[in-house]
Amino acid sequence: MKATDIRDPSYFHKVVDCQWACPAHTPVPDYIRLIAEERYTEAYMVNWESNVFPGILGRTCDRPCEPACRRVRTEEKPVAICRLKRVAADHKGDISPYMPALPTRKNGKRIALLGAGPASLAVARDLLPLGYEVDLFDRDPAGGGMMRSQIPAFRLPADVLEEEVDLILNMGVNAHFNYEITSMKDMLDMNYDAYFVGTGAPRGRDLDLPGRQEVDAHISIGIDWLGSVAFGHTHSISGKVIVMGGGNTAMDCCRTSKRLGAESVTVVVRSAFEVMKASDWEKEEALDERIPIVNNRPPKEFVHENGKLKGVVFGCVKPVRDEASGRLRYEPTGEPDVYMECDHILMAIGQENHCPWIERDIGLEFDKWDCPILDETTFQSTHPKVFFGGDSAFGPENIIWASAHAHQAAISIHLFCQGKDLKEDRPPEGLNLISQKMGVHEWSYDAEHDPAQRFIVPHADKSKALGNIKVEVELGFDRALGAREAQRCLNCDVQTVFVEPLCIECDACVDICPMDCITFASNGDEDDLRARLTAPAENAEQDLYVSEELPTGRVMVKDEDVCLHCGLCAERCPTNAWDMQKSAIHIPQLGTYAA
Amino acid sequence: MTVYNDFVIRFANVNGSGSASANGMFAKALFRMGVPISTRNIFPSNIEGLPTWFEVRASQAGYQGRREGVDLMVAMNAETYEEDAAAVVPGGYLLHDNSKGLDRRLLRADINAIGIPIAKLILPEFTNPKQRKLFKNIVYLGALSALLNIDFDVITGMVSTQYKGKDELIQPNIHALELGRRYAKQYLECPLPIQVRRTKQLDGKIMVDGNAAGALGALYAGATICAWYPITPSTSMAEAFEKYANQWRTDAETGQRKFAIIQAEDELAAIGIVIGAGWNGARAFTATSGPGLSLMSEFLGLAYFAEIPAVLFDIQRAGPSTGMPTRTQQGDLLAAAYASHGDTKHPLLFPATPKESFEFAADAFDLSDRLQTPVIVLSDLELGMNDAVSDAFTWDDARQYDRGKVLSKEDLDDIEAFGRYLDVDGDGIGYRTLPGTHAEKGAFFTRGTSRDAYARYTEAPEAYTENMDRLAKKWRTAASLVPAPEISGHRHRAGVVFYGTTAAPMAEALVRLADDGAPLDAMRLRGFPFAADVADFIDGHEFVFVVEQNRDAQMKTLLVNELDIDPAKIVPVLYYGGLSISADAIAERIIEHFDEHNLPRLKEVPGGLGA
Amino acid sequence: MTFVAKPRVHHPQLPLNDLGLNRRDYEGAVSTLCAGCGHDSVSAAIVQACAELSLPPHRFAKISGIGCSSKTPSYFLNASHGFNAVHGRMPSVATGANLANRELHCIGVSGDGDSASIGIGQFAHIVRRRINMLYIVDNNGTYGLTKGQFSATNDKGSTSKKGVPNLYEPIDLVSMALQIGASFVARSFSGDKQQLVPLLKGALLHRGFAFIDVISPCVAFNNHNGSTKSYDYVRGHGASVVTADFLPKDFIATAAETVVDYAPGTTETVALPDGSRLRLSKLDESYDPHDRAHALAHVLEAQQRGEVVTGLLYVDPDASDCHEILDTVETPLNALGEAELCPGQGALDRINAGLR
Repeated sequence: MKATDIRDPSYFHKVVDCQWACPAHTPVPDYIRLIAEERYTEAYMVNWESNVFPGILGRTCDRPCEPACRRVRTEEKPVAICRLKRVAADHKGDISPYMPALPTRKNGKRIALLGAGPASLAVARDLLPLGYEVDLFDRDPAGGGMMRSQIPAFRLPADVLEEEVDLILNMGVNAHFNYEITSMKDMLDMNYDAYFVGTGAPRGRDLDLPGRQEVDAHISIGIDWLGSVAFGHTHSISGKVIVMGGGNTAMDCCRTSKRLGAESVTVVVRSAFEVMKASDWEKEEALDERIPIVNNRPPKEFVHENGKLKGVVFGCVKPVRDEASGRLRYEPTGEPDVYMECDHILMAIGQENHCPWIERDIGLEFDKWDCPILDETTFQSTHPKVFFGGDSAFGPENIIWASAHAHQAAISIHLFCQGKDLKEDRPPEGLNLISQKMGVHEWSYDAEHDPAQRFIVPHADKSKALGNIKVEVELGFDRALGAREAQRCLNCDVQTVFVEPLCIECDACVDICPMDCITFASNGDEDDLRARLTAPAENAEQDLYVSEELPTGRVMVKDEDVCLHCGLCAERCPTNAWDMQKSAIHIPQLGTYAA
Repeated sequence: MTVYNDFVIRFANVNGSGSASANGMFAKALFRMGVPISTRNIFPSNIEGLPTWFEVRASQAGYQGRREGVDLMVAMNAETYEEDAAAVVPGGYLLHDNSKGLDRRLLRADINAIGIPIAKLILPEFTNPKQRKLFKNIVYLGALSALLNIDFDVITGMVSTQYKGKDELIQPNIHALELGRRYAKQYLECPLPIQVRRTKQLDGKIMVDGNAAGALGALYAGATICAWYPITPSTSMAEAFEKYANQWRTDAETGQRKFAIIQAEDELAAIGIVIGAGWNGARAFTATSGPGLSLMSEFLGLAYFAEIPAVLFDIQRAGPSTGMPTRTQQGDLLAAAYASHGDTKHPLLFPATPKESFEFAADAFDLSDRLQTPVIVLSDLELGMNDAVSDAFTWDDARQYDRGKVLSKEDLDDIEAFGRYLDVDGDGIGYRTLPGTHAEKGAFFTRGTSRDAYARYTEAPEAYTENMDRLAKKWRTAASLVPAPEISGHRHRAGVVFYGTTAAPMAEALVRLADDGAPLDAMRLRGFPFAADVADFIDGHEFVFVVEQNRDAQMKTLLVNELDIDPAKIVPVLYYGGLSISADAIAERIIEHFDEHNLPRLKEVPGGLGA
Repeated sequence: MTFVAKPRVHHPQLPLNDLGLNRRDYEGAVSTLCAGCGHDSVSAAIVQACAELSLPPHRFAKISGIGCSSKTPSYFLNASHGFNAVHGRMPSVATGANLANRELHCIGVSGDGDSASIGIGQFAHIVRRRINMLYIVDNNGTYGLTKGQFSATNDKGSTSKKGVPNLYEPIDLVSMALQIGASFVARSFSGDKQQLVPLLKGALLHRGFAFIDVISPCVAFNNHNGSTKSYDYVRGHGASVVTADFLPKDFIATAAETVVDYAPGTTETVALPDGSRLRLSKLDESYDPHDRAHALAHVLEAQQRGEVVTGLLYVDPDASDCHEILDTVETPLNALGEAELCPGQGALDRINAGLR
């Protein structure tokens, strides 16, 4: 293999698996170390700069970082990254000194943000410090978009939401709430310098089965129903409720129903439990609240009597793994159909982009799925002035994606407004490596491996939580638990850096490495090398770090897969050929770029 | 007036002349006739040609100590004629080979010369020069049988037993015996006024030396490993062990051995092997003498600190340095007690008789295992190499070895966290494990460097001090486990303290002192550390004599040091000439002390003095 | 010395041996030796050899003397007892331990200061006695713990770190072992585990006295230009005569194995007592690893040329050990109880009778 170019920013970025997996590339180990040191405000700001909504995300994020966490590969349970984020938010102090300075003189450019959800808010945050004038339009009476309308208060208390939304609104956004946008053409006529569309994926899917029309009064679309609850239009639900669907919205619907007085709530899913879209912890919470989840039951018919919904007929299927594709498909089991009585149905089977207000003759093109055609890097639509982000860009995703899109869109908008090339002039990613050696056995980070298992987050008393939709279920880690959990972080951003000319091939690093990551061997192609290492390197998704040829003709090969970043190789290296260096991956954002 | 069974006879021979066998037969013959005897081999550090003496004391009263003066000298070594003649008490006898007439050096008016032309008797009878040399000894043995009135059957019987299987040797030996006996009967006045007569006093007794007895004790105690390096006067102990082990520890079916003996390259290796074996759970011992003890000191310190059982027999000889390698002394006491550097000390046992050599050897292994520390048995040449009349050995077949606190696999299963040096029982003794016992628990690192209660290396002052204090506590436990002192009499203002081979002359001296109006209470020390009784005994007397066989009063030092006793209270009675101390020397010195200090000498009064 | 504790967690795919244990189960405490010390590689090689042989990690007696090398038994086989004895006297302690329990694998680790100076007498005699053990000398030619004095194995002319040459002839423990009767003699290099590990395996299973002199550089005091015990020097002057491959009991040559094309007359296999084998590959057809005199001559000649001969130099597969010589019972002596050991009063009566 060729020697690894560790100066390529993406090389070490990949090693920081959590950060690599995070759409916003939040420097997770950085803020976890700050939490361990009880420096919550700084930890919060590291998050805020990157993902904009730490308090909200600390409760609601889909956490792509956690399955990526190296601890999953070394010891099964990932660090509770999301909950640690919340620790930072819950315990932070006054953040105002850390907030970006806002120029008193505007730069003369006006930007319209359509929709007041996370994507638009994040764009606003990035643009405002550079002197842009930002106008925000939303049909709802308050900001936050789906964060407000779709996430129930027992998961995301209103004050947490409002604090982080207001933080941005108060930076000088001209907010136009209760403003129903009906025509993009009209908006364009208002002659802003650029437009950002962050209106989300507001249309909940429906199911056209026999009886659907007849029972319309008894069926609600999940996201609409949740929004109606959020804005105080709906206060109760009665009778037997069936929630259809297996995603997070379904989980929110069923748990909300339970709190609003349903006689019974049942979730019915057409697919298997394991492949439900809902996050594991959301499923667990629902089950924990004793809400039955019935799987492998595709609905067939709505049964009604005199316009009154009586129940639903479901077929019975079983999942079969297709040998060739490895995918699941469903076959009828042959059992008779199942009839389930109900009085109300909440339909939570997915949502989609929906922009009926964008005229199709204004140069803004849509694809065959009725999604806008966008540049994946710049988020620019075919109309040069119009940029998209969040769910309205590529379909429903999590809030963290909205933040990620927003940063890129904000850069694009800025470049666009400055008349620069959106691609050529985009700031590059960067990498900084700084040795962490402080003394003979002293490292600037806590290298000691903590074998502790993942700590459990305390919950509110169930009788209290189920009686009131506003009572938050998860209580979050306190300072002590947060500090303990933070110690589980392996500091994957502190990299093992190998300097060939210093190596005397004494094997000290090979001998000490607890995970058998390091091998000195004759070079070969990747498959060959992977097979010849001290311990098998079967995880091809993780890179091999290969050195230049050493005096004995061998190369150093390090399997990055299960490295604990404990620093023992560097500790035991007599010549400092190994060093522990903190890699700071520089993901450009408008603020840092412009400054 | 004829004196029966009470005399000292000394054989003066040339080393390597084969006299040992004849002299031994002489002693054995007396023993078999029930004459209470003790023997002393006074030999040079030499193989052939230098003077050697063998002394037999017969004592009707059963005194086993050395007595001054020789009643009958068998002067067979021209080189020492002068001093041999001088050693005879006035009126005593001097037997010599007068083949060439009476040598002038043997002339003394106040003694009786007994000339036998031994060489002339031999020459015509035996042609082989080697036999001529050997049979000279047999001839004087034959003559002595007549002179002292020894049953001839006893002697011939012994010859027959000794040469069983080599029958061609029996007849010439008996012939030589008869040559001497016949000559004596024919030409000399037989028997002499000092003579023997049969008694039943020794029925059931045995005659044995301390080294053989100790070896047998080790065998009975289950010692499986003996590592040693030849050094007089301990060598015969290892050799006796080998003999007994071959006889009693060989598997009848396979012929395989249930013991291992290594003649090591030096004393360092010998004790190292013992410690390695002790660490690994076998009972092991070494036998050595003073110079060996010096060499072993480093290892003894290791075993003390690492707490490993080891048994060491120090058969003392006269030091310092090479000293007098074939002479006896009690000069290793301090070196043994405090062998090695730092705060080290070792339990000591002081056997006084062959029976105790047997018993203390066996006890030493139990003690060493119980205390997890080296135990040193302090014998000496006097006890180790000389045959003495002894009670027969006994062994309680119900006796179980005390292997001390050794955890089995099952024990370990039940233990949460094993701490090798934890004082669980409050006696200062931790629990140990043997290598290979348990797959997960109980392994630890043994080292001579400081460690904590869990055997983890540390140089923390608290951990070190705690460990040393625990070792001191163990030492106090040891005081109650080593053999207690033997105390006799509780009525007198003065006492006498002694140990080891001083016991035999002491018994005699005590009687003499009582007769001379200086009766003493007596305490025989049998072990170190000292039991509470020891301090009580000394506290209970105005002053005490401490009798021992070294120049520097080492036991006095030990008592003063360990028990915080006023040194002025202890009057040393010392002898360090290389022979064993005699009753005469002890009694004289004590009487002298009474006289020098104008202490009243009274006949013993029942009820005690002023009490 | 390092303060960061080595984590217990291990590679999830670390292979298990026949006992269901992985290599980490054979480790010891984290080394307190200098970073890069060759001795740590030797410890790691022992760990690997024992794990791959599926030897129970608690069935060892690890014995050492004093010095850097002698600290190392702490760093492997944590489940076993170790004994850090006194300077140069490891052989006697090992002898006692082996006599007491012949069933334990006995590993003695010593250094050149320990074995070639104060301990040279004990070294010579343990070889003579054929104690069934693996005797390793971590040979770095220097006194590390006292900061860099020459040891007795340091080559004449080799210089100290400050450039002062050594004026005296070296003691070669390999030659001594060959001469006095060791039945398995090898030299290896801490920086070459491919060579060292199979040698350790062969030595561990060898019945009799197995000696391996491992050149194990001292990074602190003897790894400079001018040293003949440095990583560079040994790599530059090493000459392996016979390499050993360990073939387990149930070894069946894999396709890759059979492809290896050994020149005729250059390989042979040597049976080990447990049924496994060592395959010896000779670099020189004329070298006979069963000829003691030949091996000795070869070592001496190479020494003249400034070469460091490594590999398996001599092996006698039919050697006996001390227990065989002493004809001791199969049961470990430390496992015998009163019934087997104490002849009892009946015998004593007979002994007493013999003393009358």
